[in-house]
Amino acid sequence: MNLWKDFNAGLIKENPVLRLMIGLCPVLAVSNNAVNALGMSVAVAFVLICSNWVVAAIRKVVPDEIRIPIFIIIISTFVTISDYVMQAYFLELHHALGVFVPLIVVNCIILGRAEAFAYKNPVLNSILDGIGMSLGFALALVSIGVIREVLGAGSVFGLSLFNPAVAATIMVLPPGAFITIGFLMAALNKMEKKVL
Amino acid sequence: MGKIIKLAVILAVFCIISAGGLAYVYLFTQPKIEKNAKLAFENSKREVLGKDNIGTAVVVSPRGYSGPIEMLVGIDKGKVKGIKVLSHRETPGLGANIVKSSFLNQFIGKSLKDLIEPKKDIDAITGATISSRAVCSGVREALQKACLPAGR
Repeated sequence: MNLWKDFNAGLIKENPVLRLMIGLCPVLAVSNNAVNALGMSVAVAFVLICSNWVVAAIRKVVPDEIRIPIFIIIISTFVTISDYVMQAYFLELHHALGVFVPLIVVNCIILGRAEAFAYKNPVLNSILDGIGMSLGFALALVSIGVIREVLGAGSVFGLSLFNPAVAATIMVLPPGAFITIGFLMAALNKMEKKVL
Repeated sequence: MGKIIKLAVILAVFCIISAGGLAYVYLFTQPKIEKNAKLAFENSKREVLGKDNIGTAVVVSPRGYSGPIEMLVGIDKGKVKGIKVLSHRETPGLGANIVKSSFLNQFIGKSLKDLIEPKKDIDAITGATISSRAVCSGVREALQKACLPAGR
């Protein structure tokens, strides 16, 4: 039951973007269309799940004083691996995400989960926490991406819906990201009040 | 003192393991990455020069709104044959639209005799005048490089 709770937390209740409000920088930057949002989500999921897994596995041999540098080494190793793999097999996506892939290293969701969860919990729980948090991140990022792309560019996943001339360009610019996140947060809060 | 050394050794061990792992991944992704880069260049060259692949492809990098716009301009008999943007850092949704063929195709057939200026013979991208102007100046530069004798 505990495992289910660990997995479930990241989806809505402790959604990293819309509830904990961490890792917003890449969210603002790469959510201007749905494809980038999905690609970023996959990269973050890979790094988050792997780093949670490794941190949980080695938590007993890591001295307290140097845990943060060791987390960073682990995280940056997985980020570099995903960067290489993207360059080799998903070149288009690599161009689209640009500098935001290396910046996953300093994404607070990943370091936050390593410090707050994986360092104190068994491997299986930590992996589930990683999966749940990644799904929550993906859910938030892709919804923001879809909303911004539809309203701002008149398309979804690159498929044209209506003439982009009547679309609100502001939605694919930074203010559009803030507006979308604000509305989604409000909707989530409202929903939670009703459900609970 | 002993504790510091112990911590340093633990940290070093983690670094070595990480470096080893990365070296391994690098080893089998690197050939593919290099091949990709080469293939991408060959493909873009073919794209800007058309099927017959005749003419010269000039790389120029005019200054855009937020950094250089690296682009490849294919030129044959003094006329632009095709353009491809290789890399840029323009604003997504605005300046980034310079990569669209609807914008770039306007340059096809232009020569040194043409103005190649936004709002004159080129339709600029809405909200991205600086990016559009940069592409225009890049095309002019490429034409000069390809058509004027060297040293002038």
